[in-house]
Amino acid sequence: MKQTEAERTGMALKAGAERALRAERAPGLRWWLRRRSVVGYAFVAPALAFLLVFAFLPFVFTIYVSLHEWNMLTPVTSMPFRGLENYRYLLLDDPLFRQTFANTVTFAVGNVALSTLLGLMVALALNSRVRFRTFWRAIYFLPYVTSSVAIAIVWANIYNANYGLLNGILEMLGLPPQRFLASVSQAMPSVIAVAVWHSVGYFMILFLAGLQNIPGELYDAAKVDGAGDWQRFRFITLPLLKPTMLFVVVVNTLISLQVFDLVFILTNGGPVNATNTLVLYMYRTAFEFTRMGRATAMAILLFLITFVITLVQLHLLRERR
Amino acid sequence: MSRRRLTAAGFLLALLKYGALSAGAIAMMLPFIWMVLSSLMAPQEIMARPLVWFPARPQFENYARLAEVVPLGRMYLNSLIVTIAITAGVLFTSSLAGYGFAKFRFPGRDTLFISVLATMMIPFFVVLIPVFYLVSRLGWVDSYLGLIVPNLVTAFGIFFMRQYILSLPDELLDAARIDGASEFGIYWRIVLPLCGPALGALAILAFVYHWNSFLWPLIVVRSPELWTIPLGLNSLRIYASSPEVINLQMAGATLAIIPVLIVFVLLQRWFVQGISLTGLKG
Repeated sequence: MKQTEAERTGMALKAGAERALRAERAPGLRWWLRRRSVVGYAFVAPALAFLLVFAFLPFVFTIYVSLHEWNMLTPVTSMPFRGLENYRYLLLDDPLFRQTFANTVTFAVGNVALSTLLGLMVALALNSRVRFRTFWRAIYFLPYVTSSVAIAIVWANIYNANYGLLNGILEMLGLPPQRFLASVSQAMPSVIAVAVWHSVGYFMILFLAGLQNIPGELYDAAKVDGAGDWQRFRFITLPLLKPTMLFVVVVNTLISLQVFDLVFILTNGGPVNATNTLVLYMYRTAFEFTRMGRATAMAILLFLITFVITLVQLHLLRERR
Repeated sequence: MSRRRLTAAGFLLALLKYGALSAGAIAMMLPFIWMVLSSLMAPQEIMARPLVWFPARPQFENYARLAEVVPLGRMYLNSLIVTIAITAGVLFTSSLAGYGFAKFRFPGRDTLFISVLATMMIPFFVVLIPVFYLVSRLGWVDSYLGLIVPNLVTAFGIFFMRQYILSLPDELLDAARIDGASEFGIYWRIVLPLCGPALGALAILAFVYHWNSFLWPLIVVRSPELWTIPLGLNSLRIYASSPEVINLQMAGATLAIIPVLIVFVLLQRWFVQGISLTGLKG
């Protein structure tokens, strides 16, 4: 039987349509992989799985351990439940916790106030008409990129009461030598001074970026209206710098509350705990005394403080918009 | 368009400005200068009163003695291996996930992204103990894996890359898709090359942070073969307080700081750009 041209074309069309239908019903692997949502999941999955394992689950585990007694050697499944005992102990019965808490706050307040203020002053000076701007900026920023352990070792020797550079300079100027890190009253200010020296350049850069975002026309307009230097600073620079200021203060506070390297190397918390801080105390409680319940409770208490500070920042930022 | 008026007050103000800037600059540089000078001194010279600023004869042998006390080459090598591996890992995972969040629609995307932002609020010290426990159960204590793996992904990096990739034009990606490029190929050959500035900034931040990192290596490393530079310096501190080792400590600090200084001077613009970029999100 002879098929007509039209019949043949019709059959081919039919077969093609059937193939297309089959493809619709049972999509191949390739088609499935082409679906954008699947591809999207594939791109974010590795990082998410990682954050789950190395951040989120450990966070939940920290809360769990803080309600138990644990020395990291006994199995996780058999640690004795202690309720809020670890928290009660730290907040009510542990004078060292209270002292390290007070020390941490002292450090944070001193470091934030000084490095923010000095960072702002240097940034303002460099944002004005100034020669060799890149050179100054590099010098002030330089300590920030260097290792805190290395600079702490250098500063420990500079502060040394017997042979340190600082007492050598004091002697040159005819001033009495000081004990610095070896003195209960001078140790914390000395540590703060190193922290300010180390971080002031970072905040200077953030302030410079903020200052350069302020449109120059505003200043020109104010000048035309007869505003003086101080008025332009007071009514243009300061208000427009507020978001940068907020960011700097919050970031600075969060970093300061976690201080570890500097005190560990400079004083190891001494003399007599005068510079012992929360993270240092937590480190010792966990890795020298292996009291994981107490150490994790400390971590949670410090976390709550940083959490509140972050929420306040987010709130203030939203208010502005 | 103000003309410069050379008034007495203006001159005084300039004097004050440059005076204060110079005084500050001396305070910033003096510790580094003293570090290098005293690393070349004999112990008696460091302790001498009145102060001696320059060594009578530079004691370069201090550096040779330092190499006998700590495994210098090994420390550099370890720091390089660990820092490069972490930086490469962070760049890869951040851009991969950042691209996924920026350019794809999938159910639950926004919830997942907010969870990523939420983990940014968890400082590392909070998870220190569980992460150490996990690493010890994996048998990674005192190994490169233990030093590197827990640092390979950062929520901040994902956030940072997503913000940058959002600004890339969709048309470019769609054109490549029509030309038959694979999805990974689009990421690798089109998205990544366009992310140069963001990757550069992130790389510098990650490199400096992990090159100087101390607390995690202190906990996870036991043997001197795995010391990074900060750990080696810390071991010098333990000999401390005897004047005979001050010059060694200063030599160690010098060797730790000088390479970073050189990199910094070469790449200053990138450092400043990176820091400014991260600050402007506020």
